[in-house]
Amino acid sequence: MLKPMSEFTRMDTELKTLSKRIHYAKYIFSVFFLIIAGRLWYLQIYKGPDLRRYSENNRLKKQILQAPRGLILSRDQKVLTNNYLELELFLTPQYSKNIEQVAKIISPIIETPYKELVQQIKKSAKERGQFFPISLKKQLNLKQVYHLRLLEETFPELNIKEYIVRFYPQKNQGVHLIGYTGQISKKQIEDLNQKFKGELHFKSGDIIGQNGLEQSFEKEIRGQDGLSFIEVDAHSRQVITQSEFPFDFKSEKPSSGHHLVLTIDSDVQEAAFQAMNRMDRIGPRNGSAIAMKTNGEIIAWVSSPGFDPNLFSHTLSDDYWKELKKNPDKPMLNKAIQNHYPPGSIIKPLLALAALQEELITAETLINSPSKIRIGRRTFHDHKQVGYGRINVLQAIEESSNTFFYQLGQQLGMDKMAEYYKAFGLGTSTQIHLSGEVSGFVPTTQWKEETLNEKWQGGEDLVHAIGQGYILATPIQALVAYNAIATNGKIVRPYAVQSIINSENKVIQKISSKVIKDLSEEIDPSHFETIKQGLVRVVHGSKGTARWWRIKNRLIAGKTGTSQVRSFNRENLYKDCRLKPLKDRNHGWFVAFAPADNPEVTVAVLTEHSCSGSVGSAPIARDILKAYFDKYPETKVSHHPEGKNHDSL
Amino acid sequence: MTPYKNVNSDNYTDTHWYSKLNFQFLAIIGLITLIALINFYSITQTPASPMVSVFWKQVLWIILGFLIFFILSAIDYQFFCRFSYFFYTVNVLALVAVLFVGQSSHGAQRWFDFGWFSYQPSETMKVALICVLASIFSKKSTQHIYGFKQIIWPLFLTVLPMALIVYQPDLGTALLIGIQGGTVALFLRMNRNLWIAFFALFIIFIPTLWTFVLKDYQKNRVLMFMSADKDPYGAGYNTIQSKIAIGSGQVFGKGFQQGTQAQLEFLPERHTDFVFSVLSEEHGFAGSLFTAAIFLILILKIFQISSESRDKMGAYVCLGALSIIFWHTIININMAIGLLPIVGVPLPILSYGGSNTITTFIALGLVSSVSIRRYLYS
Repeated sequence: MLKPMSEFTRMDTELKTLSKRIHYAKYIFSVFFLIIAGRLWYLQIYKGPDLRRYSENNRLKKQILQAPRGLILSRDQKVLTNNYLELELFLTPQYSKNIEQVAKIISPIIETPYKELVQQIKKSAKERGQFFPISLKKQLNLKQVYHLRLLEETFPELNIKEYIVRFYPQKNQGVHLIGYTGQISKKQIEDLNQKFKGELHFKSGDIIGQNGLEQSFEKEIRGQDGLSFIEVDAHSRQVITQSEFPFDFKSEKPSSGHHLVLTIDSDVQEAAFQAMNRMDRIGPRNGSAIAMKTNGEIIAWVSSPGFDPNLFSHTLSDDYWKELKKNPDKPMLNKAIQNHYPPGSIIKPLLALAALQEELITAETLINSPSKIRIGRRTFHDHKQVGYGRINVLQAIEESSNTFFYQLGQQLGMDKMAEYYKAFGLGTSTQIHLSGEVSGFVPTTQWKEETLNEKWQGGEDLVHAIGQGYILATPIQALVAYNAIATNGKIVRPYAVQSIINSENKVIQKISSKVIKDLSEEIDPSHFETIKQGLVRVVHGSKGTARWWRIKNRLIAGKTGTSQVRSFNRENLYKDCRLKPLKDRNHGWFVAFAPADNPEVTVAVLTEHSCSGSVGSAPIARDILKAYFDKYPETKVSHHPEGKNHDSL
Repeated sequence: MTPYKNVNSDNYTDTHWYSKLNFQFLAIIGLITLIALINFYSITQTPASPMVSVFWKQVLWIILGFLIFFILSAIDYQFFCRFSYFFYTVNVLALVAVLFVGQSSHGAQRWFDFGWFSYQPSETMKVALICVLASIFSKKSTQHIYGFKQIIWPLFLTVLPMALIVYQPDLGTALLIGIQGGTVALFLRMNRNLWIAFFALFIIFIPTLWTFVLKDYQKNRVLMFMSADKDPYGAGYNTIQSKIAIGSGQVFGKGFQQGTQAQLEFLPERHTDFVFSVLSEEHGFAGSLFTAAIFLILILKIFQISSESRDKMGAYVCLGALSIIFWHTIININMAIGLLPIVGVPLPILSYGGSNTITTFIALGLVSSVSIRRYLYS
């Protein structure tokens, strides 16, 4: 005899409650199904005929309306980056009755071989689905549009659509700062969606910033794509207005991205670009020229050679891309931040500051500076073959005496030198908001022992005293370090975007200058003044290494430097640089600020294989400063205004 | 007729368990499986982009599912409850491990990849939780009414896997586990304060979730759902297409494999999220209502088995299994008919997916095991 166990346990009060609960729960849970049934009735019976008609005769298609990216403007309101419309031909295989026939007709119009066209269409239809529109030709010209518009009537699979193209009116001028745009790659979709999770959504076909500020400020510049739902018939033609659609919903207009207002001055930028491309004895320079207001606002940024960013806005040809990648002058490299060089003599003022602060010397201390110094069996030469006699630090800077600084370096030692070099920001990122910044390098004795397993040699102190050896610096680090001298010790963060404004011209974010570190507590301000005097003599002194490059009524303080490409020996030192093969020629540095008594601008120029700073780089810096003072003869730069620092930018 | 014999629970091996199988219950499951296969065949044989391998894979999962169902029927559910802490611990460890060595996809770490199939520990966690809760709620020491003190431990056991799953991140599954635990707790004898706390928690929960847990895109999804015109991510498009598909089925549907919405691929995710929409389009109000009704009958049957079970443990195992199947069904169908935002919850047995099919059959197998052992005599 079968009898449910529950019969016997019903007496258990708990099971009793449970049974009671279950009894009620049956009804409550059923209600959920009742709701579903009601909704099904509503959709299938009440709205059924409407929706049936809709699904059978019509198709609802979602269209994405591309949002324009924000503009990029210079500080003087010149448009540096713009958008314009182009037309593009699409084909949707799903709506095609005969792909071969269409391909045959459009092939001569869009100048694409018939076979290639058919192959492309079939491949996409197979891989991405019949419904996926294939872009057959971009940048249609008027004649093509005329022919294709006529064909659109008979061939519903063809579709001409507008698309937005990024336009850089200044072409390769400043391309390394502004960057360029291009279509998103599969990997980027994944990476960016991860990075901006919950904030932005990236999808296949999106145009994104690939470099420079376009990339760094993607979040701000990028607009929000709109959506439109259109009802199309079997021929993909739009049929009814949206108000007749059985559900209430509207299209969403695309909203433009925010505009960036840069700190770049278009005229100073133009001057820097022209200066780098000057046709003098050396010819157009490779390297970088950057200028910054003493509060950190970048006003000019040139890296040479450049490339035309407009070419990236369209589909880039593989040949051109390969050419860019293979070019030994590395046009894709942003040399102001992405390449580092031995600083050469431009390191000397930093060493002088170290010596003054460590009380090794005073401004008046005279040191005998001969033409060479012997350490053990090695001889260290000066570029002046007759020596200088007894000179003080000002003269040493003016004439860039090696032997003077050898002796300072020898006495301080590498680790003390490294301490000061690092204090001025060498060996660390400047925190500029551009990707790919390299950090340069400052060696220490410990580093050499650990990494190379070799003991630090006494002679190496001398080499590093004049900025050669293992030490490396980027042009922007040189700029920041000299800016610190100009401002008596303020290490600022360089920045190129001063504000972000929305499409209604309202400022939504203002970015102000930021002092990362103030060295005035570690280094006595009077020492800075001493060094400044020395730097003025470089340009204005009778023996100054850059005395040819003055500007009327403006006191310039600067320092030349030569960055040895090959090892530093006697032969290399005195041989005429111009007779050496190009790749063996030295790089030239010139870093300066002006006016020396109340600095407003700092400039750093590095020219690759130009032999020397005084001929290769100083004239470029002079041109940039001149352009600045021509445009702003009276302005006084605001020094680190009070206000909130925007760490997020 | 066999002579009167007093059997204790450990002594079942000499009797034929299959003779006591609940055939009504089995028939309901069989009917759902039949609907699932017919519908799934239609979905996967679309001319535009057939998914033949997906069909056979799902058939394989269902066969495997039935195998598990019968194996579990043969074993006393008390065995699982006795070792429930073991299963639970293993699952928790798996959830921790998946965070480190799991396959990541779209930024979430949810799977272990084992070659031809991938294992999602959050799915089996659902079943492990049923067993562990059933064994706690049926303990003799807790015969009295539940208060705050007694609820802390089961609450912790529910929240721990939720937290791990949220960390993956997979908010949907975590919430589902929470709802599942909460549903079972509704059948407890709780004191008044706890009831109040229970509902207060529920009421506080939603705004808290909204402000602190939900990301902007998730909020957008909900907002979009509330007003279908705001939809930057295309989910509104999916909902609309699903509603068109269901509605256009009208009374008797467009016929097998004739659903234009599904066959012409206007309906995305038609083999997972929107299986019910395909069914409704092709078989109309008659078909969709019938399917919903079968699911309701399944739920009511499990309730019946629960109330007839020989002990509290069996009753709670059934209620746990029921809550898994009930909430998956309700959420999935409501997604399709546009009453809930698209949250990616599969429809039991009908939706494609190994982990969820197996989980469903494990749950059903446990219920079957309870059902078989409701008799004292044989």
